[in-house]
Amino acid sequence: MSIQNLNTFDPFADASKGADDDVQDGLVHIRIQQRNGRKTLTTVQGLSSEYDLKKIVRACKKEFACNGTVIEHPEYGEVLQLQGDQRENICQWLTKAGLAKPDQLKVHGF
Amino acid sequence: MAEDEAMFDPTLKKKKKKKKTTFDIEAALAEGSISEVGNGDVEGKDDDPKQKDEEADEVDLDLDFTKKKKKKKKPFSTEELDAALNDINTENANETVNMEDGDDNFDMDMLDFSKMKKKKKKKDLDDIMAEGDEKEDKENVEVNTNEWSGSDRDYTYDELLNRAFEIMRDKNPDMAAGKKQKFVMRPPQVVRIGTKKTSFANFTEICRMLHRQPKHLLDFLLAELGTSGSVDGNSQLIIKGRFQQKQIENVLRRYIKEYVTCHTCRSPDTILQKDTRLFFLQCETCGSRCSVASIKLGFQAVTAKRAAIRAKTA
Repeated sequence: MSIQNLNTFDPFADASKGADDDVQDGLVHIRIQQRNGRKTLTTVQGLSSEYDLKKIVRACKKEFACNGTVIEHPEYGEVLQLQGDQRENICQWLTKAGLAKPDQLKVHGF
Repeated sequence: MAEDEAMFDPTLKKKKKKKKTTFDIEAALAEGSISEVGNGDVEGKDDDPKQKDEEADEVDLDLDFTKKKKKKKKPFSTEELDAALNDINTENANETVNMEDGDDNFDMDMLDFSKMKKKKKKKDLDDIMAEGDEKEDKENVEVNTNEWSGSDRDYTYDELLNRAFEIMRDKNPDMAAGKKQKFVMRPPQVVRIGTKKTSFANFTEICRMLHRQPKHLLDFLLAELGTSGSVDGNSQLIIKGRFQQKQIENVLRRYIKEYVTCHTCRSPDTILQKDTRLFFLQCETCGSRCSVASIKLGFQAVTAKRAAIRAKTA
């Protein structure tokens, strides 16, 4: 039994998410790692958990013609992992799909 | 630079010859007086000892006037140049006698010239361009000063602005009011060791140039490149993986932008302090203080052989 009127209600709950489209908040880190030989791995960390990462990775795989997975990390949440140097590709794709703004993307590595 | 000198030389020689044939003691005296005026001017600016030296040189030259004929075969020297400049100035003086403050102006000119000659030898092309611009500016300014010098009219905003800039440049020639300050650095020496490792040979030297702890730069490099590495006995950095100099340069540039140059005034004269677990960048030039991002390794994918990892942990 609780009194409905005394419930705390945050009128700005929606606003904090950002009114302008559904662009996520926080930085997206795009990193590159070297593997054996001239092979590389691209990781995308920081995509909002509201997105369905599995769908994103499926689209990316098709678009960039590479393999990739979603990795569950205890600290960083779900991380996208793509084969090869897809830093340029993923930056363009994320902005084109409207998932992140260009200034939210932080590209690391050489 | 060599070309420049070559270009200057023939005209110089000509001037020289003219001087020898036409000029006499009177001219020499005139020169002496001019250089004296120059000295008087220079005393106002105590912050430029180089100029003073040059003036001193000129005076010596005037005293040694008779000996000069023997020096004729000397290829190129600043003394000759200064002498030639004096020549030009005296000629100018003859032409511009009717101007009231002509004297002051061409003294300025002379100082400028001697300054430029000195600098041109050291600096690269860009700087020369910049200085050329400056010189042009100055000439413009001088024209402006001439415009209002005699009259009693109101000064326009542009004139006053130019004048302020001129004074600023005169007082501290190093400051470079108009031109961009360049942050010149030695390139990193990156050499591959075998097939899997890369050596960053002048790592500690670059740290010293940036006034940063080697550990901090090491952390940043390794986090950015997503590899492991260490500093070896010869103070070079060994990084795992293949990297080219270009790539390391990119990362270094990012480091400098974030952790070395001041975010407000872009001066590289900064100190990195650690304060309650956060790094702060304190600028020595403008005094601003701002926090900088901490170095985070972020997510690291497994790149080593899983079997090997399992063998290690188990």
